[in-house]
Amino acid sequence: MLDRLMRTAEQAEVFEIESEATTIGFEANRLKSFEVAESRGTAARVIVEGRLGFAASSDMSATDRLLANALESARLGEQVPLHFPGPHAGTNVRVYDGELASLPAQRLMDMGREMIATIVAADPEAHVNLGLARRTRSTHLSNSAGAKVTLERAPLSIDIVVERVSGDDVLVIFDYFSTAVWNDDYRSAADRIAHYLRLAQRQASLNSGRMPVLFAPGGVPALVLPLTVGLNGKNVYRGISPIAQRLGEEILDDKLTLTDDPTLDGRPGSGSYDDEGVPRRRRALIERGVLRGFVYDLKTAAQAGAEPTGNGERGLFSPPSPDFSNLVLESGGTPLSEMIAGIAEGLYVQSPLGLGQGNIISGAFSNNLSLAFKIEHGEIVGRVKDASVAGNVYQDLRRVAAISREAEWVYGGMRLPYVLLPELNVVTEN
Amino acid sequence: MREAIEAALGASKADYTEIRLEEIEGTRVVFRGRQLETASMLLDKGGIVRCLVRGGGWGTATFNDLSDLRRRVEQAYEGARAIQGEPIELAMIPISQDVVIAQLGRDFRGVSVSDKKELAQRYNEILLGADPRIVDTQTAYVDSFSRVTIANSEGTYVEEERPQVGVAVSAIARQDADVQQAFESVAGPAGFETVLGHEGLAETVARRALDLLAAPRVKGGRYPVICNSKLAGVFIHEAFGHLSEADFVYSNPKAREMMALGRRFGHEILNVAEDGSVVGLRGTHRYDDEGTPTGRADLIKEGVLVGRLHSRETAAKLGERPTGNARATSYRFPPIVRMTNTFIEAGDSSFDEMIRDVDLGIYACDAFGGQTALENFSFSSAYAHMIRKGQIAEMVKDVILAGNLFATLDSIDAIGSDFRWLGWLGGCGKGQDGPLPVAMGAPHVRIRDVVVGGE
Repeated sequence: MLDRLMRTAEQAEVFEIESEATTIGFEANRLKSFEVAESRGTAARVIVEGRLGFAASSDMSATDRLLANALESARLGEQVPLHFPGPHAGTNVRVYDGELASLPAQRLMDMGREMIATIVAADPEAHVNLGLARRTRSTHLSNSAGAKVTLERAPLSIDIVVERVSGDDVLVIFDYFSTAVWNDDYRSAADRIAHYLRLAQRQASLNSGRMPVLFAPGGVPALVLPLTVGLNGKNVYRGISPIAQRLGEEILDDKLTLTDDPTLDGRPGSGSYDDEGVPRRRRALIERGVLRGFVYDLKTAAQAGAEPTGNGERGLFSPPSPDFSNLVLESGGTPLSEMIAGIAEGLYVQSPLGLGQGNIISGAFSNNLSLAFKIEHGEIVGRVKDASVAGNVYQDLRRVAAISREAEWVYGGMRLPYVLLPELNVVTEN
Repeated sequence: MREAIEAALGASKADYTEIRLEEIEGTRVVFRGRQLETASMLLDKGGIVRCLVRGGGWGTATFNDLSDLRRRVEQAYEGARAIQGEPIELAMIPISQDVVIAQLGRDFRGVSVSDKKELAQRYNEILLGADPRIVDTQTAYVDSFSRVTIANSEGTYVEEERPQVGVAVSAIARQDADVQQAFESVAGPAGFETVLGHEGLAETVARRALDLLAAPRVKGGRYPVICNSKLAGVFIHEAFGHLSEADFVYSNPKAREMMALGRRFGHEILNVAEDGSVVGLRGTHRYDDEGTPTGRADLIKEGVLVGRLHSRETAAKLGERPTGNARATSYRFPPIVRMTNTFIEAGDSSFDEMIRDVDLGIYACDAFGGQTALENFSFSSAYAHMIRKGQIAEMVKDVILAGNLFATLDSIDAIGSDFRWLGWLGGCGKGQDGPLPVAMGAPHVRIRDVVVGGE
């Protein structure tokens, strides 16, 4: 395919994805479904007379159309000073585990049953929907600069939604676990849900107002998400990121260090290369509050006149765009127990609703909370319903009271500690 | 292909077998600022087999290689057998043999990519030229033409053409550190004519982004809120629609109690329904992805819960009739209960009557996404105005509406006579990749009391 494209193009890239997955589904605590998925596809990019084109197809019999579409797309495309990378050595990182790749379906069923038992022991009214998926995903990239990159991953991922209905009170708890190398830490997701179910058995009432807010790792994405939008090279290039001009400046509290780290063994988000064949490396984005860098894919870097950062990620049907590998917010020095003990009256946030809604490009966040607790006299005393928090990360993260020693993996690709903000606006029914 | 499908169904050892194949061709043209991000054509082809075995569960196989359907049926059958579960029954549906050809005015497949690019560029130029404070824009043209074949071991064999086309325009305005955005979109299951003539929409978007720059943030608190059609539509979809999806209640007795038919949800003025068969709407198709014909399902009648949205499985479990709401975002996923076109029926109040009674409140318009965790909902209105002493007053921003479904529905005290259907690019998310095309309809709606997050 590359050769055929190069008859007309100055540069070309062919990206092939193949994946297969086995997914076991539990619904309302019972084994329900067994899914086998096989998928493959090819995407092509070309540069013809300096113009970039893209096309993709999952139809293996339609290669001619795919190539014609890519060239047509380039005919209409923009001039982009993009250069596909040549072959480069990448750092080794472990993202494939043969044991995981051949995990039998029976084992997935046993794991699911075990997790459900843990959760139901904490609350017999809990209805658990669980999906356990064992995937193997291979990508093959080749380009006209001579790069040939094959990446293989075999992640295990577990998706959990627990519903507990009691009268008109509906409690929904989400959790997620993933790994690229076998470990039995999957139990921790079930343990965490069980822990919150027990805490949620009591209810507490909280008055609206400004108060300390402790974001548990599950709640920290509400703070991190607006930052990731500001750090995205596309938004920097477009001039809409509020921090576009602030490299080297202290923009947040010096307790905050945010790193993009693709070198962590055993994480599905890790890898030696990004989806464009650019070698990946660990990079500090915010270091002790100071803005150090943004994330780019090749095209955005070329347009912005910046160095590529190895953050180009793609799905089959979309061209690469900037994304994060593993986003790590560095742990701090304070034990969680101390953080909670020091709060006279405040809010503990585990699950925000509506992540990404509102004007997050400006740094604003405003989220209703599907799981939150009241802290009173240094103790979690009960679940608070119908509460919401709002603020702006570029103001509210300038003063952070404490960051915990403890951290968790959240949504598979973020490693987050507990973050205590001394004062945030909380709106409740009172 | 028909022979291969019917042979594979015939050879299946399962008690129920279903094969759905899909072939999609689409075009995406996206402008970002002055630059074309992409003008690309996509081809997607694949299928899914589902099997049920008595005493077992659902076995599913999805694939891109259509050359060996028997093998896929075998895989799905083995999967179904591997699950020892509760018996799964499917409600009866008519056996349908049908070919549904799309009705397009001007078939977008015959429009060159170059012309599609020119159209998007024209709209984009309007945004860019409006004001120097418009620092970024995004204009998208998206079309897709899907041919779906749904066949099952009961004898149903349906082929349906499903076109979708639309444009979306958004502008980002910036003044110092303040960044605001505005967005509009039009989409439908029709031809290229759907996306023509929307210059006014682009002008509106540019103006709104600029107006939001100057607008103060709303002061958080409880207010009477009048929602425009679009926001009311998003509200009924997000806050109520998802609870009506029977997979929420069918395996959970307590949830069923909460959503008991006959329970009062609001005043007599409130009527809510769903209809996947209304011609020309984004959520419309003749058959759902299990081959059930779509149609109207009443959900709330005169304030009382009278119905739910079903797949064949949920309908059987609850002893209700299948409503044609089993849908999947693509062949990669099994159908689950999803919405189609969800609406609040028109009432009697005029907008003037509604606003006259409000001393201090908010007129909230459009929506930027939304999310529901069952009884709790949260979504952001795209823009809003204060209502002071019965008049529309200054624009405010960052208006996030959140609350409890039951309290809020009960708090609807006026429903407008000005019903509108709305469909736009994007759609509904529920566990499966990618948004599912849906539409919403509503008149203006007044809610006596809503928690509004803000300063």
